[in-house]
Amino acid sequence: MIVLGLIAALFTIFIAGFGITILVFARADRINVIECACLGWLFGCGTISLFLWVCGTFCSGLLLQAIVALGCLVFGILGWRAKRESKAKFDLPKPANVAEWILGGIIAIQIAILIFVSFKHTLGWDGLFNWELKARYAFQNGGTIPAAYYSSAGRAFSHPEYPLGIPFTELWLYLWMGEPNQFWVKIIFPLFYAACALLLAMFVSRLSGKRWLGLLTAALLPFVPSISASPGGTVVGYVDVPLSVFYLAALGYLLLWFRTDDSRFIIVFAACSALLPWIKSEGIILWAVLVLLGFVLGLVKRRLVQLVASIAPGLILIFAWRVYLRVVHLLPQSDFVRPSFSTLGNNLGRLGDIFAILFAELSQTFQWSIFWLIAAIGLIYLVASRKLERIALASAVVIPILLYSLTYVFSSWPSYTAHMTSSVPRLLLHVMPAGWLAIGLALSGAKREIQTL
Amino acid sequence: MRWLLYLHFSLWLALFAVFIWISAPIVGSAVVENRIGPAETNCSVDTYLRGLTGIEHGSEKLSEAFRDLGKEGRLIVFVRNENDQSEFLGMMIGYLSWPREVQIVKVPGETVDKELANIQPGAVAGVVFCSVNPPAWLQNRVRLGSSIVLVPVTQAAP
Repeated sequence: MIVLGLIAALFTIFIAGFGITILVFARADRINVIECACLGWLFGCGTISLFLWVCGTFCSGLLLQAIVALGCLVFGILGWRAKRESKAKFDLPKPANVAEWILGGIIAIQIAILIFVSFKHTLGWDGLFNWELKARYAFQNGGTIPAAYYSSAGRAFSHPEYPLGIPFTELWLYLWMGEPNQFWVKIIFPLFYAACALLLAMFVSRLSGKRWLGLLTAALLPFVPSISASPGGTVVGYVDVPLSVFYLAALGYLLLWFRTDDSRFIIVFAACSALLPWIKSEGIILWAVLVLLGFVLGLVKRRLVQLVASIAPGLILIFAWRVYLRVVHLLPQSDFVRPSFSTLGNNLGRLGDIFAILFAELSQTFQWSIFWLIAAIGLIYLVASRKLERIALASAVVIPILLYSLTYVFSSWPSYTAHMTSSVPRLLLHVMPAGWLAIGLALSGAKREIQTL
Repeated sequence: MRWLLYLHFSLWLALFAVFIWISAPIVGSAVVENRIGPAETNCSVDTYLRGLTGIEHGSEKLSEAFRDLGKEGRLIVFVRNENDQSEFLGMMIGYLSWPREVQIVKVPGETVDKELANIQPGAVAGVVFCSVNPPAWLQNRVRLGSSIVLVPVTQAAP
């Protein structure tokens, strides 16, 4: 029964996500099944978690589950109808030669291995206390997080202020399984990895015009130890990998929109970027970086209206979450002091230590191998190309790292170096897939056209 | 300019070769370590408790012990400051004891005489010591594995 419940939960997530994706892409001649599956997973998780959060304010238990499931079905039906009316066809891209077959096969095997390995590992420290804990308490309370949790000083360690994107995706699985099962819930993280690898392959292929290059980049992705083998990676149930997938997706579609002017891409960008702050608080920084880059690209394209409209969902979500935290009387807590010029002036001396720790982390081969060296060379290629799109991609890798590092100027920990050492490896993970996108494009050279993968 | 193309691809090939050369043993050992355990509800919590305190089915046993304290009153959990294992166990107590209110107190040393004296018994259901030694005078200890000691508060009051 538990496995049946799990299948039903995953099915409803995909139905909702597929429906939304098809609604966006229905007017295209053909709908790429792999792209649809990846976005279906991302949108499905976003939709389910938002539905549970919103509907949970006025109902709970079986009624909540029924309403959310109905919502998923409605999206699925709408998508199916839109596809039927537009006569768009599903298309499964097939490898064109032996090299592509081999690389595609390697990616499939890697995904299968990561699913298997995820079941071998326990949820990590943050995976358990920051994320799964919220799902479990909500499950025990009929699908909503009890108000008492937010004012429980003794559970401040679990960061009640963190958003509910992943905990409520876990909750959805729990509601269908009928119990908070810590074994099966881990399935969602390798699925995020799968979406990451496939989207990366697709973006590199489309932006470089070389499918083999996209597949090669995706095949290299799990060899970065921090995504597959270390604390914070796919197998321990942290949200950093899911956040990095949403960032990659938003960035990729922003670049595709810039390249093609296709309004469907800006819609996907709007949805993926809006979900960044819903996955983790740091997502606000990533969202702000994308808004900035989008603004520059939109200005050049003279498409500012589209861009401004695409920012709205993210803004609404950030504002709504803030309001919610106020309503539930969240106990004030933060790892950072409120930024001010006086604090900045007082703590400016930290910068030397901060960048020393950052450099030490980037050159840490046990976590990253020589990924950051390769990424740095890739970024030099992109900047040297003097193409706005490529410079924007390089900026999307560098700016978040700089901003993340600068936040430690405002760290309220007794030891800001300890704060940084404990968290910066996971923060770097957020831009790692974007770093592979940069590497893929650097490797491809400059003169390329869009390939319809 | 064909040589430039060769140089370009040679550079990237060399970089990827070194990258995989370093990564493969790290990723490979992570892939082969551990085995798939039983698909139990609290498998992560139980694995941690087994590893850190030696209790089998720890989630069940701890939850039961906390239920026996009655519905009212909070738990005071003493953990060692800057001791990851002790702090982790303290959080685990907080995780499992929901919806009971918990108060996690970090102490610098291995014993807690002074901190314990400040507790007001009326509002407290029990005191938990995670890798911290309870004072010698404290009776009726319930030992939960090697590192956790629970003392129901009626007996805990000095």
